[in-house]
Amino acid sequence: MSSAFEMRRVNAGYDGGQVLAGINFAAGEGEMIAILGPNGAGKTTLFRVLSGLLRPLSGQVFIGGGEVQKMSAARRSRLLAVVPQEIRTQMAFTVGEMVMMGRATVLPPWRHPSPEDRKIVEHALVYADVNELSGRPFDYLSGGEKQRVLIAMALAQEPRIILMDEPTTHLDANHALEIMQIVERLNREHQLTVLMTSHDLNLAAEFCRRLILLDHGRIVADGIPTEVLREETLQKVYHCEMRVQTDISTGMLYVRPCARHAPAGGTAANVLAVKEKIHVIAGGGSGVEVFRHLVFNNFQDVTCGVLNERDTDAQVCDALGIQTVLEKPFSPIGIEACRQAEKMAARADVLIVCEVPFGPGNTINLQLAENALKRGASVLINDVNLQERDYSDNKEAAIMIKQMLSQGALPWRSLHELRPMLLRSCGVFKNEGS
Amino acid sequence: MQKEECRSKIRLPLLPLLAMATPPVLFFCVLVGAVPLNLRDWHSPAMQAIIMLRVGRIVCGFMVGAGLACSGVVLQALLRNPLADPYVLGVSSGAALGAAAAIILGLGGMWTIPLCAFAGAIAVLAMVLFLACRGGIANIYGLLLSGIIVGSICSSVLMLIISIAPMEGLHNITWWMLGNLQVRSFPLLAAGSIFVASGFVFIRLMARQLNALALGREMAHYLGVPTGAFILGAVALATLTTAAAVAMAGLIGFVGLIIPHLMRLLTGPDHQRLVPASALAGGLFLVICDTAARTILAPVEIPVGVITALIGGPFFLVLMRRRSGGWFG
Repeated sequence: MSSAFEMRRVNAGYDGGQVLAGINFAAGEGEMIAILGPNGAGKTTLFRVLSGLLRPLSGQVFIGGGEVQKMSAARRSRLLAVVPQEIRTQMAFTVGEMVMMGRATVLPPWRHPSPEDRKIVEHALVYADVNELSGRPFDYLSGGEKQRVLIAMALAQEPRIILMDEPTTHLDANHALEIMQIVERLNREHQLTVLMTSHDLNLAAEFCRRLILLDHGRIVADGIPTEVLREETLQKVYHCEMRVQTDISTGMLYVRPCARHAPAGGTAANVLAVKEKIHVIAGGGSGVEVFRHLVFNNFQDVTCGVLNERDTDAQVCDALGIQTVLEKPFSPIGIEACRQAEKMAARADVLIVCEVPFGPGNTINLQLAENALKRGASVLINDVNLQERDYSDNKEAAIMIKQMLSQGALPWRSLHELRPMLLRSCGVFKNEGS
Repeated sequence: MQKEECRSKIRLPLLPLLAMATPPVLFFCVLVGAVPLNLRDWHSPAMQAIIMLRVGRIVCGFMVGAGLACSGVVLQALLRNPLADPYVLGVSSGAALGAAAAIILGLGGMWTIPLCAFAGAIAVLAMVLFLACRGGIANIYGLLLSGIIVGSICSSVLMLIISIAPMEGLHNITWWMLGNLQVRSFPLLAAGSIFVASGFVFIRLMARQLNALALGREMAHYLGVPTGAFILGAVALATLTTAAAVAMAGLIGFVGLIIPHLMRLLTGPDHQRLVPASALAGGLFLVICDTAARTILAPVEIPVGVITALIGGPFFLVLMRRRSGGWFG
């Protein structure tokens, strides 16, 4: 694999000061790389240096084996094309005229575009799916269409390298995906080297096999997504808590910033802190809604259990900072876990049972609810599809639940119903009323 | 949608139409004038003298109009500003100052006033480029700003000269500043025409790069235009063409502003069509205005700049009202 471009000890900046410091990296032909980093990390400057727009203060930049600053503008434009975030022009160029510019700008002025040139432009239009727009003025297009026209312009240059500056920033999820699929196909079918900047860590991790993380003008991490997207690294760079998880259904990395839900030293003015203790029985994702509701509404003492490790609910509890009793994955709930959960449930004022399937492994959780009901705590039980989700021996779980409902436990079917019950149980309504 | 389709239909035949219309219009303008032409008498010395004068004047008008329109096109594309015209970088004030200085100093020769005007324009251009460039790279806003400021300084000096000028000089200066296509000398006409014609050829050769620059400097760079050198070259070329036109005919306003807009409206923004269309239309427009100027109140001549604004202004406004969007393009 030969190198498509290379930056050697590049320092760069503007009058105001240095932005990039000692950037060293090379990209092989056919690589697809995303440059990540917070605002002001130097992503745009890196692009400017790489495309020859900004002369580096020191160090060298090579594309296709030649030094960018010493190369003719025409040759450079045949090696490297840039898709900017957006362009503005008041002149009503049609899409066809614009894409032709990608081809014709560097032709000698006396030469008309050859049939070959026209074919290349035609292909670019088709590839970026803007063929049908070709007679329309660029200015009248939507954001996604404009972005595709800019890609077609770049393709018409027949470059070896494409730089894309935040190609999906102004687009909705559907159009962003469409653009990324076009780019991925180019990379795969034409061995085009693609370098893009992005604020969307997830999209970058999904489409790029190599990520480069910039911070304060330096490369902090460079490698495959799982190496670069580490919680510690991201937290340092983005100055906020970041969670990296593997999406259960697709196996993709999933990164998201994590707001602090119960900020130290005070609560949001409009949300009353709720001191009552809540214990939740859930599993398999049935509790997600409830957990989020509780945490965002400032219930300060929420516990959960018993859950199996790596269960969706367990991950959500972890993310939200809810104290949980865990059992090993796919194991029946053991005596030790049970004892711990009993301790938690015993101090709870309200116990919530979610729409979780019950089987021999977890029916014992219902025992917690029963005990709570006996000592007079509120027990709120979801009774949707009770029979269908009961896999316990002799429908033991359904029987226990029915019994509890007859002894004063309250049934709920949706978060909408649960909300007022919860408030009543915790006496918030009483407080507000008085 | 329908509007767009209409426009693309109009775009096609304009350039050939203009080219075909040019010879008959010019011929007609030769025939019209204060003294009726009798073509049967063409060999009489008096008639020949009149024909020579009229043909010279028409060539002069055509060249000046074409030159102003072309440099208007270039400056509007480079500065990406719809208000840009050939005089936006202060060339007019520089030329006026040069001419006024020549008149006041009594250097009233056939060549001196045009040459001084030309020199004044070049001096202003040099100053503007010097102020706006840093490390060989021209800053677009820097160009615009220093053009306006250097222009204002020149205007102030001009006002000073006018306020202390004797009556006769004052009349000359005013006349010059209003613009006049009367041919003073044929060698001067030839020199100016060569200047404008070569300016046109070079500007036409730059058409593709101008297209790219209309998308912004950064985009032009990515598309393969060596922007630093190109912008300097194009500004210098447009200004030299303007300076030549000003030296030939004084300050004639409006042509360089509205003709590029009008042609962009009719043929679209592609400079490969826009430049020749503007050159032809600018030339024809000025010749027609000049013919009107010398016949409407004949034998009194109205300053041609008055006619360009009186005819062109309302026409342009009507078109602008009918199609809005972008720069009326």
